[in-house]
Amino acid sequence: MTHDTVVIGAGLAGLAAALRLAEEGRRVLVVAKGVGSTHLAPATIDVLGFDGEAVESPAQALPQFAAAHPGHPYERLSVELIAASIDWFKSRLPLSGYRGGLEENVVLPTAVGAAKPSALVPETMVGGDLRAGGRFLFVGLGLKDFYPAYLAGNLAGSGVQARAIELAPPLGRETDVGSVGFARRFEQPAFREAIVRELAGRLEPEERVGFPAVLGIRQAAEVWRELETRLERPVFEVATLPPSVSGIRLFEEMTAALRRAGGRIVIGQTVVGAETANGRVEAVVAEAAARTGTFRARSFVLASGGFAAGGVELNSYGKIREAIFDLALAGAATNGGPRFLPTYLEEQPLDRVGVPVDDRLRPTDAEGRPRYENLHAAGATLAGAVPWREASGNGLSLATGYAAAGAILEGDS
Amino acid sequence: VAALEAEVLVIGGGSTGVGVARDAAMRGLKTVLVERKDLADGTTGRYHGLLHSGGRYAVKDPEAARECIVENVILRRIASDCIEDTGGLFVSTPWDDPAFGDVFREGCRATGVPVEEIPVAEALRREPRLNPEISRAFSVPDAALDPWKLVWGCARSAQEHGAQILLYHRVVGLERDGQRVSGAAIRNDLTGEDLRIHADVVVNAAGAWAGQIAELAGCRVNVLPGKGIMIAMNHRLVNTVVNRCKMPADGDILVPIRTVSVIGTTDVRVADPDDLEVTQSEIDEMLDEGEKLVPGFREARALRAWAGARPLFSPEEVADTREVSRSHALLDHRERDGVEGLVTITGGKTTTFRLMAEVAVDAACAQLGVERACRTHEEPLPDSEDGHFYSLGSRLHAREPVPQSEELICECELITRHRLEEAMERRHTANLDDLRRTLRLGMGPCQGGFCSYRAAGILHAVERLDHRAANAALLSFLQERWKGVHPILYGDQMRQARLDDWIFQGLLRVQHLPT
Repeated sequence: MTHDTVVIGAGLAGLAAALRLAEEGRRVLVVAKGVGSTHLAPATIDVLGFDGEAVESPAQALPQFAAAHPGHPYERLSVELIAASIDWFKSRLPLSGYRGGLEENVVLPTAVGAAKPSALVPETMVGGDLRAGGRFLFVGLGLKDFYPAYLAGNLAGSGVQARAIELAPPLGRETDVGSVGFARRFEQPAFREAIVRELAGRLEPEERVGFPAVLGIRQAAEVWRELETRLERPVFEVATLPPSVSGIRLFEEMTAALRRAGGRIVIGQTVVGAETANGRVEAVVAEAAARTGTFRARSFVLASGGFAAGGVELNSYGKIREAIFDLALAGAATNGGPRFLPTYLEEQPLDRVGVPVDDRLRPTDAEGRPRYENLHAAGATLAGAVPWREASGNGLSLATGYAAAGAILEGDS
Repeated sequence: VAALEAEVLVIGGGSTGVGVARDAAMRGLKTVLVERKDLADGTTGRYHGLLHSGGRYAVKDPEAARECIVENVILRRIASDCIEDTGGLFVSTPWDDPAFGDVFREGCRATGVPVEEIPVAEALRREPRLNPEISRAFSVPDAALDPWKLVWGCARSAQEHGAQILLYHRVVGLERDGQRVSGAAIRNDLTGEDLRIHADVVVNAAGAWAGQIAELAGCRVNVLPGKGIMIAMNHRLVNTVVNRCKMPADGDILVPIRTVSVIGTTDVRVADPDDLEVTQSEIDEMLDEGEKLVPGFREARALRAWAGARPLFSPEEVADTREVSRSHALLDHRERDGVEGLVTITGGKTTTFRLMAEVAVDAACAQLGVERACRTHEEPLPDSEDGHFYSLGSRLHAREPVPQSEELICECELITRHRLEEAMERRHTANLDDLRRTLRLGMGPCQGGFCSYRAAGILHAVERLDHRAANAALLSFLQERWKGVHPILYGDQMRQARLDDWIFQGLLRVQHLPT
């Protein structure tokens, strides 16, 4: 079977591109070796959180940021396009109830109590907006991936009124319960009842209540609303270590939308190579258990991620390679020097390594020409960004996935 | 200034120092040990973990070989819980002269190292990943030795016998009373307080730093710090210690220890044992040598690289530190320099630490004018009383009967919340790296990716730290982890490091935390 577009990778970039194409009636297949960054990172859509200093308004900061960072993916995208990707995304994920936009960043506490700006946040997190001031209570559940007293200590140190309490919720015979285990328990009424009972009488007036981001998976909206109603105050989630429950919700809602729009998704097949001819990609070849599959299409989206996901690889000789098409790479700042610097928190010479693209997000060769006419790239595969430092990860993935789909649709018309 | 009295003051908390403290305390001497950092922070905690059979030195350094095999047998008896009885192989790869095997066998026989040539097919059956082109193989009683368990076992035993151990206590001066060393001026680096320790005898067991200590008493001790780098690979590529059958050189040992295998090492003379850089060319050399022993070595996941400083004692200046004997050196400064009350014990290796302690305490006793017999070769260390060797599955075996009964804070090293909290309370430290040396926290494949935040959060609660101190603990641990990871970042470990970047810099944003 031939598809219109095969998307490689099931992170936010791949899913955004696939959903937009499927909505436009294209036959889309997503092929991925596993679930993507959604299961590791929180579901906030960070467009631009830091440009040296914290960014208050991405809409205002983006043009200057793009100009100051040649080769950054944002150089290829207009603010209008990024704004359109955000509006589109908000409307496609009603369950998550995303709030915010490009005009103002929401500022959420991280699990250590640092302040992180995000353009768009799920409604279950918006109550943690530090800009609103007021008093915060952070609730520990005994979850080993969340330390509310430490979080509150750092917030208090920066002038926020914050305190913490630890609950001992009933976990049955199991004691090493992780985020997903807690999320399942929150979907049980008896568990929520126990939490509310333990909190009764321990809340100060006007205090907003923060939990680790484990308030259910499929029923998260109901769980969150019930807690707000019964505790009679804003309740919010704080993202913490992987696995990311909020990211799993994002994945579930996007893949459901994709299937409803007629798209297909295959997880568990690793794309290892391609068949190419006359400057075009004809097919990609994927390996699964004991067999290979060939997927043909008219266009392809490479959303296989960066070093973390394996889309870009570094071998023991120091050679860097794009794993599927062996595309040209850009962004290395080694200049013949070391690949890594001794100070951990410095920007590292390989941080911006990735695939360079043209204005239609097609990977380019050393001369800046598109390597394949019908191959587009999106997300963490792209060169030029340091999304974990910029707080731009999901924003970049969403906007470039959306834009790659747009380029394909434009090319068709 | 506060003051302490001791009969024996031991300087240095490596294997030699804690060995001396244990030996002296077991002989009934009032003993105090001072260490400028944590136990095993220096050379002992930075070696590959080989319990030598003596085979490595059988040809080149027969005296060292003899000492090794005697101590090997003793340590198997007294420190069984620190030892995994892996056995050892010496193999001739295509790069090694097969005729050296005969020289090697003769050397082993002459020095008392049990050796047996085994068929190549048997060696390959035992270690299927070995280079199939090997032409000869010899079996010797090498083993893996956990340096932290050893040092902490000696320290606990010394304390049980009345010794006092002061960590993060740095010697800032030795006090002279005429031609006699009468004690030391000490600075507590955690509190900034000064302390004076009066001692009848000072034992300088500062290893690669022994020259610096001796100089404080006006004595010249020529210790050449020899840098050796090692890489821990994320798997047991072999389950037997594997050596190249040739004259000792770089990158010719692969030691399976705990869940990893460690390839080593180099030997480069350095000026300062506190300044040990791991270079890219050294890494490449280790990986290339690893390929010769285990084809595909470069494809395996490397976890971490580090360097240690061997304390090589040389009576004269030499250019190549490989030419210096691995045997130990006892310097009685009364005889040597006319300075009473000071003994230096240096050179040697962790395998011979007990013997070094014995001769040092013998010399101390002679200066004190007392005669008391050494008993360290007879009395097992704590946890080694039953004589059972450690095995790879020991920790899992201890945990398996009660699955899910307790949270694992460090999944890689199977550290439960209870063990971590207990260690925090016992050690009373605000430094996560101290807990690493105690529990192996953060030493597994993720190199602290998941446990660092958890440990900082728990430390914040257990030690009632303020947020700045907890931040400092977290950030310095991340920097310490990075130090060993960045030289070997490629392949899967690069993926891991990038995930860790996302966690600490993207999700938590630790870079914005005040310290």
